[in-house]
Parts: sequence; C-alpha cells; structure tokens
Amino acid sequence: MKLVLKGGRIIDPSQQLDIVGDVVVVDGRIEAAGVGLAEAADGARIIDVSGLVIAPGLVDMHVHLRDPGLEAKEDIASGTRAAAAGGYTTVCPMPNTKPVIDNAILVAGMKQKAREEGVVNVQIIGALSKGQQGKELAEIGDMMLNGAVALSDDGHYVESAYILKTGLEYARMFGGLVISHAEEESLAGDGFMHEGAVSAMLGLRGRPAVAEDIAVARDVLLAEYTGGTIHIAHVSTAGAVECIRQAKLRGVKVTAEATPHHLTLTDEAVIGFNTATKVNPPLRSTEHVEALIAGLKDGTIDAIATDHAPHAFEEKDMEFRYAPSGFSGLETALGVILNSFYHTGKFTLNEVIDRMSTTPAKILGLEAGTLKVGAPADIVVIDPEKEWTIDSNNFYTRGKCTPYEGNTLRGRAVATIVGGRVVMQGGEVKE
Amino acid sequence: MTKGQVSLRGKDILGLQGMTVDEMGLILDSAKEMKNIIDRDIKKVPTLRGKSIVNLFFEPSTRTRTSFELAGKYLGADVVNVTTSASSVVKGESLRDTLLTVEAMGVDIIVMRHEAEGSAEFAASAVSPVIVNAGDGAHEHPTQGLLDMFTIREKKGNISGLKVAIIGDILHSRVARSNIWALLKMGADVSVAGPRTLLPRDLEKHGVKVYDRVEAALEGADVVNILRIQRERQQKGLFPTTREYARIFGVNKDRLSLAKDDVLVMHPGPMNRGLEIAPDVAYSAQSAIQEQVKNGLAVRMAILFLVLMGGNDIEVSA
Ligand SMILES: [Zn+2]
Repeated sequence: MKLVLKGGRIIDPSQQLDIVGDVVVVDGRIEAAGVGLAEAADGARIIDVSGLVIAPGLVDMHVHLRDPGLEAKEDIASGTRAAAAGGYTTVCPMPNTKPVIDNAILVAGMKQKAREEGVVNVQIIGALSKGQQGKELAEIGDMMLNGAVALSDDGHYVESAYILKTGLEYARMFGGLVISHAEEESLAGDGFMHEGAVSAMLGLRGRPAVAEDIAVARDVLLAEYTGGTIHIAHVSTAGAVECIRQAKLRGVKVTAEATPHHLTLTDEAVIGFNTATKVNPPLRSTEHVEALIAGLKDGTIDAIATDHAPHAFEEKDMEFRYAPSGFSGLETALGVILNSFYHTGKFTLNEVIDRMSTTPAKILGLEAGTLKVGAPADIVVIDPEKEWTIDSNNFYTRGKCTPYEGNTLRGRAVATIVGGRVVMQGGEVKE
Repeated sequence: MTKGQVSLRGKDILGLQGMTVDEMGLILDSAKEMKNIIDRDIKKVPTLRGKSIVNLFFEPSTRTRTSFELAGKYLGADVVNVTTSASSVVKGESLRDTLLTVEAMGVDIIVMRHEAEGSAEFAASAVSPVIVNAGDGAHEHPTQGLLDMFTIREKKGNISGLKVAIIGDILHSRVARSNIWALLKMGADVSVAGPRTLLPRDLEKHGVKVYDRVEAALEGADVVNILRIQRERQQKGLFPTTREYARIFGVNKDRLSLAKDDVLVMHPGPMNRGLEIAPDVAYSAQSAIQEQVKNGLAVRMAILFLVLMGGNDIEVSA
C-alpha cells in the first residue's frame, strides 16, 4: 500500500525541513520526503497537495475523552473523530474518567478500546494517585510498564506536597512524567473566573492568578528537589511563566503547555456570562496573556495542548456558577492558533507545528511529531489560507460548546493521515 | 435630556452597567409621577390592566417581592408570585425549563431574583417576556440602584458632582455594583470603604476611589450608602468578629460628622442596627431609609410601565 502526497510545502521541525516536495508513504510508514518523488511512484495513490502544507500530525498531550463512564459528554469514537477533524493524529486522554484510570488493567483496556473504536492514536495518561484522591500513589510502575505515557491527577491539584514528592520520586524510576494541574485549592476552589477588574464588575467569585503561581512554584521546587520530571498543564499566568523560565535556567526538568484559549482570550470574554467561557484555570487578563505568548515564543512554554473538555449540552446550558468548567478544543485549536499567531506574523508555520506536534511528542517520548524516514505516517495536511467559520453544530465532538462560536478563522487542517490511512479529508472524517 | 427619543418598550432591565443615562433619566422622571399616585387615597390606575407579571423568586426576599407586587397591582396588572429553589437538583428542573413554563402561560413581564450572577442575562436570552432583574447574585440589582438615584436626586436635586460614599461589603453586593455604575455614569465622585477582604480587587480600575478606612471615604461626603453585612461573611473568615466590624467599620454619629452637615444617609435594608449602622444614624434627620422604600415602589411602577407601554407618553391618568 503506497501513498504519495504530491507537491506540498513539507514542514518538519524535527529535521529542520521546509521544502516544496512529495512525501511517500509505504505500509503505514514514511518511505521518503523530498523533491520529485511522485514521478517514480508508479501504482501509488497520489494526492495532489500543491499549495498546501504537509506536516507531522498534531499531537495533543491534554484531552478529556470522558470514556469510560461519562459518555454523554464524549467517548473514544466521537473524541478521536474530533481529533482527526482538527488535524490531530495522537491524543492523550486524562484519567479523570469513571472509573479513574489508575491501574495497568484499565490502561490496557483503554488502549484496546482506542484501537477498536478510535480513528487516531490514543496514548494513555494514568492517574498519579489512586482514584485521583491525592492520598496514596496509584500503581505507577505497573501502568508505565503497560504503556501509560505519563501520570496525572488532572482536574485536581495534588494538594499534598508529600504525595507529589513521593510521586515524582517513584515515577522517576520508570521515566514517568508527572503532569500537574496547578491551582492552589484553598485560593481557587470556590472561584468561577479570573480575579480582577472583570470579576469586580460581574460579581463572580475570583480564582486569583496567585493560586496558580503558588502551585507552580511548589511543583517546580519539588521536581528540582527530587530530580523528577514535571510538566505543568495549561499554564495561564505571568507568574507561572516566569517561575518555569527561571527553573529551566537552573536545569530543573520541567516542561509546560498552554492552551489556545489561554493564549487568545481574556477574562473580558466572560462579560455576558456565556458558560462557554468558563474554564479552569480561568481566562486571564491581558498582561497574563501577553506573558504567556512571550513564553511560548521563547520556549519557556514548550507545547500547545487543547485541554479539550467536552460537556453535554444540558450541563453547559445553565447559570454560570453551576455550569461545569471546560469546553471542546480539538476542532478549533489549529485554526485559532494559525489565525492569531501565524497570520499576525508572531509565529512561523515551523514554530506552530513544533509547538503542536514535534515538541509534545518529544516530551512524552512518542514515535510521533516527525516525518523522518521510517516514522509512522502520521501526517496533517494544512491549508493555511482557508477561511472558515466555527459552527459547533458541525463538530464531531459531543461537546457542542466553544468560546469561539461564530468566529471566522483563516487556516485549518484539510487532511489527516494516521499510520498511512487517510482518516479525514476536506473536513470529513472517513470512518 | 432627550426623553422624547428614548424608549424602554420591550427592553429587558438587566443592569445599570448596560443602561444609558437617558434611559435611567426616563425611569427617574417617570417614577416622580408614579410617586404622586402612591400618595393618593385610591392608588389604582388602569394603565396595565390585562397585563400579567410573574415575580419569579429563586431566593426569598419579602421586601423586593412585595414592592414589585404592589407596583404591578397599583398599575392594574395581574401579579403572581412564584418562589422556588435555585437548585435544579432540589427542584428537578433547569432554569431554562422553569422560564419556558412561565413564558408558555403568556406573561408580559418576568421579575426575577436569583442567587447566580448572570441569571437575568440567561433569562433574557432564553424567553421572550420582558425580564426585570430583581437581583442576580452579587452582579446587579438595577431597581435598587435606580431607587437610590431617585432618592439622591429628590434630596440633592442633581447627582453630577456629588461625593458619594458606599460603605461595607462591596464584594458580595449587587446593590453596590448597580449604584456604582449609575453614579459614575451620572457624574458622581464615588468612594467605597470597608474591610479589604470585602472590597473587590481592581475595583479602582473602574474609576472608583477605594479606601480601607471608613473615615477617609466619609470625609466631605454628600451621600453615604451603608450596605448590609451578612453575618455568614464573618464565618467565612472575611472579618474577625461582628464586634470588631461595628467598632471599626460601622457608621456612627462620630464618623458621620466627617461628612457634610447635610449628608444624606441611605441603606438598602434590612438593617443590622448596631452593626453596620448605629441607630442614631439610621433614625437621624439626614436618613432617607424609609423614603427609599416608597421610592422603590415608584421606581418599580415606572419600570413596569415603561417596558410595557413605552417612553413617549408617560402621562398617567386616574
Ligand atoms: Zn486541568
């Protein structure tokens, strides 16, 4: 089975590649990438991608597929189709499901289910603590040896410094990356939005930026002390960015991600009480957003992750206070990032692909995020100029909720190829 | 004032942050005429005969509900009170479905009180009857804000240029917010004071002067609006004891003497006498607290009238 993508601009940050040429795929792997390869490819299926960008498929290291147990919000089938529609070839679901993915049997079960029902690669993140309760360590070793790619109590802050310390020490033996949702609970727990001028106006209880600053500082110090590896999920404050920047200078093994929404929206989006703007950590004020973008530019923030967090319609159709936090992100992320950062000249296409594919794959040690010869043929074809309008009715995810509803964007994925199979073309998921 | 061009017909009254000075002026002018009706022997006028109003209260509030109920009845409307729980878990029904049910009964106005900020906006987008916000969490209480403006205008003639101090728990207060937006739009100089723990962060970014000490805010004030302190704030650790609150932040005669001699004293009620306000302040000659209640009725009559009948003809005949 041979597939040739013909005449596209090949951008691969993993090998500093930026040329116009062809990519040849044989038996699900990259056979070659270069100029004039299509001519020799007799008998192959040829897709003409002239004028488009060929890049390693996007890797989302932070999604919630809600499967098992919360299928009214999402399941593996719908979530991976949303991923394919958005140009993602690998997604990493967080373990805050029902039950929590906190042992090797569940990890193996999830991998099996993903192979049967999913249309993109699914890499499993196991819980750090049993039931994500923050009290006892989960079977970290067993999970890592059975294919978990990282450990996280995401959805919750690991309140006990003791548990995070022992977790980092223990996970280190297995090369286990610990991912932290860093918001200090006693400060943030009761709040509904960023604390600042907008919360002063709306009367909504605040989640102060300092709650995240404190949590990130503690987590980074524990990683430094233990020699463990920590990844800070969905960084949203200027203080956290600076803390991570300083830690990296000291050689602490810390990486970080930011979401498209924290990079492009401010707390002013909450005016009007649209529950599609309710998320944890909350949308911040301009100075935080600017610091986050600067951090993404200088490499302090390594990756862009969606924190795709779908909810059922009836859950979000509520008073702001009562609505759950989070919204869908897989199908909007690339468009939002290209529109806000590539088309404004702030980031190159190479940088965008690096932050959305090559670097997150590297952080998790995945065989992904690259078009090197022999790598799995996980590829996204991007039309950077394509104009489209976000309409959640057209989403593949069950979570028909986005703060970008109605926005017109420039740039989107037009084909997604997973292991050499075309799973999405022209916005349509194939299976 | 370009009263003739402004109309509130069919408009939701959600908050004063989103209301223009002209719209507020129209309500205040109309309320003046409504107040004359309240002073009559026979109060009923047939203006809103055949119209129906539902007071949909998800939080108990005898004061505001009674005021709206009488306002509707004095204008001849049919008024029904529905008091229910905000929690859809307890109630087994979402806010949207409750609103749709009320709408299906063909009501003209839904007056809504709810503990959640933004619930009035939610209601306005969910159903077609006019929504009048009777308080949504800590967000807004526009009719209280307007009755305070009415009271100030009645006593002081004008609002522009006045120094107004708002004292107490600003953080949790919808009354404070509605007052602040109206006062700022109308050109008043607004100061707030109270324990730092009860003042919203970054409030000064909205053009309000923020003080820790009550004395600083009261200095030279033309108007002081004293907010009710909820005792559960103390249990949440926001201030040490009610005793300390009364001693340091309570408005008493001594502190009030820092204000102008003819300072106007207001309180949205119900009062905790001896806590946020000393009795000799509450019942002083400068106090308009009882008058506020009457003005509230007038303002609510004006609003119900204006949203149903429009703003061009505010003549109310007996
Ligand atoms: Zn999280």
